[in-house]
Amino acid sequence: MLPLSLLKTAQGHPMLVELKNGETYNGHLVNCDTWMNIHLREVICTSKDGDRFWRMPECYIRGNTIKYLRVPDEVIDKVQEETVKRSDRKPTIGGRGRGRGRAEDGVGRGRGGEGGRGGRGYQEDGAAGGRGGARGSGGARGGGRSGGGRGGASRGRSQ
Amino acid sequence: MATDTGLESLIDQTISVITNDGRNIVGVLKGFDQATNLILDESHERVYSTKAGVEQVVLGLHIIRGDNIGVVGELDEELDSNLDLSALRAHPLKAVQH
Amino acid sequence: MLFFSYFKELVGKEVIVELKNDLAISGILHSVDQYLNIKLENTRVVDDTKYPHMLSVKNCFIRGSVVRYVQLPPDGVDVDILHDATRREARGG
Repeated sequence: MLPLSLLKTAQGHPMLVELKNGETYNGHLVNCDTWMNIHLREVICTSKDGDRFWRMPECYIRGNTIKYLRVPDEVIDKVQEETVKRSDRKPTIGGRGRGRGRAEDGVGRGRGGEGGRGGRGYQEDGAAGGRGGARGSGGARGGGRSGGGRGGASRGRSQ
Repeated sequence: MATDTGLESLIDQTISVITNDGRNIVGVLKGFDQATNLILDESHERVYSTKAGVEQVVLGLHIIRGDNIGVVGELDEELDSNLDLSALRAHPLKAVQH
Repeated sequence: MLFFSYFKELVGKEVIVELKNDLAISGILHSVDQYLNIKLENTRVVDDTKYPHMLSVKNCFIRGSVVRYVQLPPDGVDVDILHDATRREARGG
C-alpha cells in the first residue's frame, strides 16, 4: 500500500500533522496531492512546546514541511476495501495511473473491525489526538474521539 | 539490480524506525514508496531517558515522511521480548545534523 | 553512478556506517540503491551501551541521506580500477 493512497483515503477524516519545525496541526483533511501538500479544515495549530494554540477555519500545508501524519486507525481498512473493489471490476478504464499495482493479497488479515460502513464523506466524527501537546485547546467544536479502540493515553482530544 | 534494496521484505513485519529528530518508533510496516515515506500501523514511540526506563507511548496509524527517516530496522521479536525495556537507561538519540 | 557501482562491489563485506546523528552501525553490506540507501545484515551498534536503541535489530535499512561515513574493509578498494572508473565517469562515459 502506498503512503499517498492511504493519505488520499483519509480525505474527510480528522488527522494530526506534525511539521519539521515541531508545530502540530489538527484538522480534517480536505484534499492532498502527490507532493503530500495538504488542505485542512477546522484546524487547531499547536506550537512546538505545546503551550499556545491557534484556531483557523482552514489551512494549506506544503508537503515537504511535514514530519509525519497521524490518521485514524480505521482509515487503513478503507484503503484495502477500495483496492478490493478496484480489482473486482477488472478493466480499470483510464485508472489514474498511480501504481496501486501491487496486489494486496494479504487483504483479509488483521483487525477484525467493522466492515464497510458505507459513505465516508465529510462526517465530522472526531478530532485527531495530539502527542501530549494538544490538550485543552479552547472550544474546538464538538469532537468525538478519534479512532476508538487502541489509542489510550496519548489520544488527546479537542474540546 | 543484484539484490533487492526496497523494504518489500519488511511489509507486515514489526520494524523499528529512527527518525531524524531522534525518535524511535516501533510499528508494523504497511507500505512505503520511493521517497521512503512509510505507513506504520499499531505504532508506538519508545522514549529513552537516563532517569527512568523506556517509556512506550501509543501512536497508532502513522504516515512518516521519508525526509524524516534515518534507519528502518527489522525488529527481531525474540531478541526484543528478551529486552527489559524498563531497565534500559540511555540518552535520547541526537537529531540528525545535515 | 560511480559510487553506486562502487558500493555494489562491496556487497557481502563488513562495513561500519556512521550516521549524521553520531550513531555508528556495523554489519554486512547487503545491498545499495541509486540513492545510496544501504541495507545491512547482522548489524551491531558500535557503542551499544551508549546507544541501546537498536539492540533487537539485526537487519536494517539506512537512508542514504543520513549517512556521514562508510568505513570500508581495507581490501575493499582496488585503487587501479577505481582510478579507471573515475576517469571514465569524468569523461562522461
